[in-house]
Amino acid sequence: MTVESLSPALMRRRQAFSLGRWLERESVFSWLMVALPVAFLVALVGYPFFYGIWISLQNRPVAQPGVFIGLGNFIADWHDPVFRQVVLNTFVYTIAATLLKMVGGLGLALVMNQNFRFKNLTRALLLLPFIVPTVLSTIAWQWILDPAFSVVNWVLVHTGIADPGPSWLGHPHLAMFSLIMVNTWRGLPFYGITLLAGLQTISPELYEAATIDGAGRFGRFRYVTLPLLKPIIFVVTMFSVIFTFSDFQLVYVMTRGGPANATHLFATYAFDIAMGAGQFGQGASIALSMVPPLALIILAMAIYMRPSKS
Amino acid sequence: MRSSPHQSRRDLLKLTVLGAAASVAAPSIVRAAGKPLTMMHESSFIPPFDAFFKKDLAAAYEKATGIKVNYDVVSVGGLLTRVTTAAENGSGPDLSTVGFNWAFLFDEKLVDVSDIAAEIGKESGGWYETAQEAVVVNGKWKAIPYANIGQLMNWRTDWFKQAGYDKFPDTWDELLEAGIKLKKMGHPFGFELGHGFGDNHGWLYPLLWSYGGREVEADGKTIVIDSDETARAVDYCRRLYKETMLEDCLAWTDVGNNKAFLSEQISCTNNAESILWAAKKDFPDMAKVIDQSENPKGPKGRFHMLNPQAHAIFSHTPDKQAAKDFLRWLMAPKQLGPWYDIAATYYQPFLHAYDDAPMWKVEPRNLPYRDALKTAHLPGWPQPLSRAQSETIAKFVVIDMFAKACAGKSTKEVIADAKVQLTQIYKTA
Repeated sequence: MTVESLSPALMRRRQAFSLGRWLERESVFSWLMVALPVAFLVALVGYPFFYGIWISLQNRPVAQPGVFIGLGNFIADWHDPVFRQVVLNTFVYTIAATLLKMVGGLGLALVMNQNFRFKNLTRALLLLPFIVPTVLSTIAWQWILDPAFSVVNWVLVHTGIADPGPSWLGHPHLAMFSLIMVNTWRGLPFYGITLLAGLQTISPELYEAATIDGAGRFGRFRYVTLPLLKPIIFVVTMFSVIFTFSDFQLVYVMTRGGPANATHLFATYAFDIAMGAGQFGQGASIALSMVPPLALIILAMAIYMRPSKS
Repeated sequence: MRSSPHQSRRDLLKLTVLGAAASVAAPSIVRAAGKPLTMMHESSFIPPFDAFFKKDLAAAYEKATGIKVNYDVVSVGGLLTRVTTAAENGSGPDLSTVGFNWAFLFDEKLVDVSDIAAEIGKESGGWYETAQEAVVVNGKWKAIPYANIGQLMNWRTDWFKQAGYDKFPDTWDELLEAGIKLKKMGHPFGFELGHGFGDNHGWLYPLLWSYGGREVEADGKTIVIDSDETARAVDYCRRLYKETMLEDCLAWTDVGNNKAFLSEQISCTNNAESILWAAKKDFPDMAKVIDQSENPKGPKGRFHMLNPQAHAIFSHTPDKQAAKDFLRWLMAPKQLGPWYDIAATYYQPFLHAYDDAPMWKVEPRNLPYRDALKTAHLPGWPQPLSRAQSETIAKFVVIDMFAKACAGKSTKEVIADAKVQLTQIYKTA
């Protein structure tokens, strides 16, 4: 009798207790915490991504229903000479700009890591290219590289190096070179500041120990700084590759892909085809063609730059 | 309230007259105010043009009918994206400006306006034939063209005079000759060869056509770019570039030549009326020595670029008749005339009633714009409107054919490239 009357209350307590405990289990709680961000990602990234894949498999002109054509768009891309040039352009652009940013950013971080006057002010100013909206800074660059008003050419002409100065955006190779320079200028602070943060976590004792062991300036850099910085370099480079590979604003403002497609990248070409030509399917297929090479680059980097086990 | 479209239109006209005559009385006898309409426009290069719509036209219409008309301005270059979004989602503005071949691209999402097109034509002296090239799809008017924004040769009369030219060269060959002289005198030419929206097409297509070159036959299928005529046009373009122009032209977008012309870097370019307009405002002395002329003649004639601006009604509009009534009202001389006047022929009418309108006398240097309409065509001419045409433009096939030749590739190579691209585009389209 007593047992029976007690049991429901007991059971209720145990049930409530177990739910609370279940919620507090780390594996459950952590999922609960990420549920909201995951929902956001699915809605704002996942859905468009899969919708993009679906569209890329269709012949889908604007304002008309799509017709499923399998890989037809991708096959058409493959035979499109401009697409091939776009692939080449994007690789040249990404590799050159990323390397420059990596080397320059590392140098920048090393310098910034020294003690000098106005260190903090300089560090803050360094971030400027990163803070200014790209469209605005790019328009400024357009003036810097303008044939008539270019400061660069003014200097070249007045120092007698070249007269007339080169056409920075008019010559196909120079145009690509100019865009890489502007991209590097914009991306350098990101590298610099992130690597600087990494540098500051390296314990000075390690340098002291290395010095005692007879390592010179280069030796300390090679055997202490670089290995310890590797994970950060990897993360920054991964971000940089992704952003550079899918760059749009810079090219769209400066050259819109000209002269004669010499600076067209995946994103700008996909936009022109989807929005300009109204071929959503083909545009999506061009944009999606970015995914496999990007995945490969990141995979290769992940393997190459894996932190050593020791 | 509304019994039949015709009756309502008659009501409307009556109301308009009444509204103008006795502006106080009008609102009281207006039919029940309808839903507001939204008209999307690309931001005009002539700011008073937009302001006139917002302040005067929209207000007058609201007074006459009780219907509010919103004027939604889109930044230059962004209109196609916005029209695409509106058509795809079936929501947004009720009416929009459409350009180029968009009436065809968005055909199924636009209302047939053939009836009011006929009325407007009858009322205002008839349509220019070229007007129909852009907006008539399968025999139906899918938009009402209100203006062309033509492209002409813009040149410096003072420098040309120094080189011995009192008037603009009549043929492409004479232009080359003049350009060589002018470049030697330090006044090179500058024509856009980059990836802009307008100033590149504005002269390269007419150049191709005037040498007899075409991309595709009128059947819309047979690709004929690989011809001796094209080769001659390409050879000519390369010479014109190398011997008369600034190197930067290859990278120019649409602002490049305006900037170069107004900063006195170049003596001749192909542009819309904006250079003269800007010069008159900011550089009055330079404006005195600028003139505008029709494109030079080639072996096969003289051609110009058609850059039509038309108003279309989206099929998602809840009250199609209300939108049509508004468009009909807008295109009546009483409204359209003053609107044109505000922009002083920057917008060139497609209706013959305006052929000798007083606005042409405001700036006689703009008269060639009117005359150029007769020989103006859309890129891709003589083929019918098509999706392939849009793709060819978006891929800059013809522009880049010329640009690559200027950058140093052989004529054979660049034509072969263009042919490969066109073959692919017309096969899949």
